[in-house]
Amino acid sequence: MEIVTQKDTNISAAPPKKSSSQWAIARKKFLKNKLALTSLIFLLFVAIISFLAPYITTADITRINIGEMSLEPSSKHWLGTDKAGRDVFTRLLYGGRISLLIGMSCTLFVIFLGTLIGSVAGYFGGTVDSLLMRFTDFILNFPFLVFVIVLNAILFGKVNGLWVLIGVISLLSWGGIARIVRSKILAEKENEYIIAAISIGCSPAKIIVKHLLPNVLSTIIVQATITFASMIVIESALSFLGFGVPQEIPSWGNMLDSAIEPDVLQFKLWIWMPPAILITITILSINFIGEGLKDAFNPKSRR
Amino acid sequence: MSTKKMLRNEAPLLEVKNLETAFDIEGTDYNAVDNVSFQVKPRQIVGIVGESGCGKSVMSLSIMKLLPKGIGKVKSGEIIFDGKNLEKMSESQINKIRGKDVSMIFQEPMTSLNPVFTIGYQLQEVLFNHMKISKQEARQKAIALLKSVGISRPEKLVDEYPHQLSGGMRQRVMIAIAIACQPKLLIADEPTTALDVTVQAQILELLKEIQAVNDMSVILITHDLGVVAEMCDEVIVMYAGRIVERADVDTLFHNPKHPYTTLLLGAIPKMDEQEERLSSIQGIVPSLTNMPKVGCRFAHRCPKAMPKCFTVTPVLGDIEQDHEVACLLYETSIPREGVK
Repeated sequence: MEIVTQKDTNISAAPPKKSSSQWAIARKKFLKNKLALTSLIFLLFVAIISFLAPYITTADITRINIGEMSLEPSSKHWLGTDKAGRDVFTRLLYGGRISLLIGMSCTLFVIFLGTLIGSVAGYFGGTVDSLLMRFTDFILNFPFLVFVIVLNAILFGKVNGLWVLIGVISLLSWGGIARIVRSKILAEKENEYIIAAISIGCSPAKIIVKHLLPNVLSTIIVQATITFASMIVIESALSFLGFGVPQEIPSWGNMLDSAIEPDVLQFKLWIWMPPAILITITILSINFIGEGLKDAFNPKSRR
Repeated sequence: MSTKKMLRNEAPLLEVKNLETAFDIEGTDYNAVDNVSFQVKPRQIVGIVGESGCGKSVMSLSIMKLLPKGIGKVKSGEIIFDGKNLEKMSESQINKIRGKDVSMIFQEPMTSLNPVFTIGYQLQEVLFNHMKISKQEARQKAIALLKSVGISRPEKLVDEYPHQLSGGMRQRVMIAIAIACQPKLLIADEPTTALDVTVQAQILELLKEIQAVNDMSVILITHDLGVVAEMCDEVIVMYAGRIVERADVDTLFHNPKHPYTTLLLGAIPKMDEQEERLSSIQGIVPSLTNMPKVGCRFAHRCPKAMPKCFTVTPVLGDIEQDHEVACLLYETSIPREGVK
């Protein structure tokens, strides 16, 4: 299983202290994948400049400036200003913050819920499994858009809009992950080392957390990257429709909102092009990373 | 012989009474283990032999409560270990016993170790489960354990992963894990079946050594009579979920009573005889779903079968001191009136 190239064996006279685990092998493979590595660097770059936005730009993101409405890109406003006279570049950075934050936290919630429910259902089987999986089916069949719109309308102004959105998206999106984790656990728990682990006195919780999850973690990680990408899309779509992040908070989706107007769409490209391009490239790179991870964890791939 | 006499008078460490384990196949229960009773004395090695599908493994899984959930269950009977009824215990209670007082070695060393953890981690896990011990101590103990099962470079091996080890090495690691907490009873479910012959001999030698050093009892499940002859004090022959004969090892090999035992012994290839064909027992063990309801379950393969073998179910009876047989050829096996 271990991949040691001819060169390595010649150079390293002293063998490494701890032999390379599945993870070390995966890391090595991932680092060799140029596309995935470039994508990762790009994503990190976007994340870092977004979260450092207050230090990079000093323009006010919320103040409406009637004197500078819809200006074309210039040296003062690198990407021009939008219809309310706000600097597009600044909003792009702050928007990245929100979009990535929503994507990230939704992914964490979704993965947590999906893994919890999937692994419990898969490990215990029987009635527990049926109950949890029927509940999962129920969640998967929920009319997502309607629910989000209604819930947002009910909770509007009562709770911080951002967290309502994160909560609602997460609560409705874990179904797929739960199914995947369950099926993986079902296959994995038949292995003899699980019986062996039970036979040395491990509790069910310990079996799931320590023996089963590490063995399905690679799948979960790959799923997490894909979920991350789709969460950014969902946020953008909802915000574009006006049901997402509250208007005063800039997000990539919110910035696209103005493209509804034909005038902006046709003649003021600088207002909506930057977030559109950024969303596309970000999602593309996340997918490349996911693809790279999938290859890295696949023992049969030799790339 | 004197030690064996001594053993007889001691209180049993494990007592299985009228154990019935059933599998649920399409809504109907089929007994894979049917009314089995036996005892294991302290420091005794008991061999359980029989063809594939005789319920040997199911019985060992019943003792450890490791039967597949929802499909297999213990229907009736008692499993008394060290004075406690394992059958009445909750999952968390039995977890305190598993790995500490009773542990198990499995057939497949290639898949019995978790591929994502180092050998050391898996050894330390059982120690952490049952002992209050620091990380440093656990590591030292893991290395000592690996040394005790005859692994030559334990300091290095603790940091290696299962895929870097050969089958024999892995089985040694499994044994090390099983004996880590010095259990009173070790259940070895065909520990050498997946290994090649030379390694087999080494592993058996090791098991015997460890048994003597740790003063533990062993239940050795196998279908290899050679292994039984070498290792065991007492032998239980099982057929289709029932015990057909039980005796100490010398008696069984020199004076087998049940036709099935005789045929099993006859099926061992002999070095000194030139035979064209190896002798075998014709037919196969009936599957769970078409097990005969009454009569001796071996009757349709038995060369000595009589008409009543198909209608009367034999019971296990003492044919002589410490030698039980369930076969209608012997009077002790004919069920008395009013007794099922």
